[in-house]
Amino acid sequence: MEKAPAAPNPDYDLLRPIEDPGKSFYYIVIVLLVIILYTGYVYIRQVYYGLGVTGMAQPVTWGFYIINFVFFIGISHAGTLISAILRLSKAEWRRPITRMAEVITAIVLAIGGLHPIIDLGRPDRMTHLFYNGRLQSPLLWDIVSITAYFTASTVYLYIPMIPDIAILRDRGVKPRWLYEFLSWGWQGTEQQHKVLDRAMNILMVVVIPIAISVHTIISYIFAMTVQPGWHSTIFGPYFVVGAIFSGIAAILVLMIVFRKVFHLERYLKLIHFNYLSVLLLVMSLLWFYFTFSEYLTGYYGHEPNEMRVFWYKFSGAFAPYFWTMVTCNFLLPLILLSNRKTRTIPGILIASISVIIGMWLERLIIVVPSLANPRLPYPTGIYIPSSTEWTLFLGGVSVFILGYMMFARFFPVISIWEIQEGRQESAKAVTERITSYMPDPQTPLAKG
Amino acid sequence: MNYKLIDRLQILSISLIWLLFTGIAVWILNLIKESLRLHDAPDASLGISLVAIPVFFTLSSVLTYVFIGLRKGRKKDVES
Repeated sequence: MEKAPAAPNPDYDLLRPIEDPGKSFYYIVIVLLVIILYTGYVYIRQVYYGLGVTGMAQPVTWGFYIINFVFFIGISHAGTLISAILRLSKAEWRRPITRMAEVITAIVLAIGGLHPIIDLGRPDRMTHLFYNGRLQSPLLWDIVSITAYFTASTVYLYIPMIPDIAILRDRGVKPRWLYEFLSWGWQGTEQQHKVLDRAMNILMVVVIPIAISVHTIISYIFAMTVQPGWHSTIFGPYFVVGAIFSGIAAILVLMIVFRKVFHLERYLKLIHFNYLSVLLLVMSLLWFYFTFSEYLTGYYGHEPNEMRVFWYKFSGAFAPYFWTMVTCNFLLPLILLSNRKTRTIPGILIASISVIIGMWLERLIIVVPSLANPRLPYPTGIYIPSSTEWTLFLGGVSVFILGYMMFARFFPVISIWEIQEGRQESAKAVTERITSYMPDPQTPLAKG
Repeated sequence: MNYKLIDRLQILSISLIWLLFTGIAVWILNLIKESLRLHDAPDASLGISLVAIPVFFTLSSVLTYVFIGLRKGRKKDVES
């Protein structure tokens, strides 16, 4: 087990964004703060005038806020879930990636979790949940599962950060009191490493079912109703697959941006992008399989209300969005990532951005058409998002960028101690693991 | 730097974590009580609480284990 290093180390290059963030950091922070302040003003205006300032009206009573809620929570699956699976499967290549992924979860969950409150015309009524909440409602399951996932993800992000925080403390980086407080007296002793390993092993197991439950429960908000296009038994796994899919795309975009901005080519190598992009391709195929199954079942049943929503998406007002979604989520990633020649960093970046756009469109296509074509004999509804909704969306994205930048300003985005541990121990551990499951050439086969 | 103050803040943070998670458990128990009073599917509420409450307490227990373990594992503590 690696002990707290004393001598200067090349991996301390990873601390450069913390020790010397540069002027551009502050300029970007100012721009983002201005956007966030304006978003705050727009939100206060919405609270003052009511939801009339949005594009939501009968029968389309859910719009951008719920779409973005599902979208942001989906992106959150990038981090903790993928990191836990990679850690649990002892994938050594995970080491420079896991923390970047885990940070996404913590920030995006906080943003996504706020969206149902933004969707309320009277946010003060949230307090009713404390006294009169109904635990039988999927909405309340969501609150419980998102709170559990947020706390689990924050703990899961923080615990493996402790040795790196101790490095910052020992180097006297300011604010020293913060690093002293957060490092919990870490000195890298064998006993401390044991405690950390044991806690991580427990968390890895706990966090995976929580993460899966979160998006499954979000799908229940739709699937538990009898609305055409929503009442589906595969919505749970369909949402989970979509969430992991968009999550991997988000990690890839962030990795490419950080690699370029902080010159992390030594840590984020082509092989990392290759492995993750193959995973993205697999998820794209899985997403297509689920989408195909979902629509084929509806089409085969040919129930009139279901078919209204079906044709609304396939050839009606939402057809441009639907076919763009199929192109962004399936065709483009398939073309770019299945070919070795196009599976380059620019190719992966295009595929990942395309998946993020495609998955946002998928949320739009799930939420709006079912509400616009209700079971009752009403005319088809129209939903055009207002500038208020667009501004709050932009604000959410700005909070994410600012949150990530602030994290990178105070903590290393790549785990220094895990990289060092990997260098010292991984090769030996992997050799031992391979030896343990490969047949021994010295042992002769038993006869008969 | 005032190490004593940091020590106290660390202990305070553990206490707050336990307070938060106990608060969530009390809230869930209160909702079960409401569902029993109103005969409003209390079995569903009980089922959810049986999963949710242990998750929160597992998380706070892991955090407490780490914080106490790290403090106990310091060199001077190990040597003494």
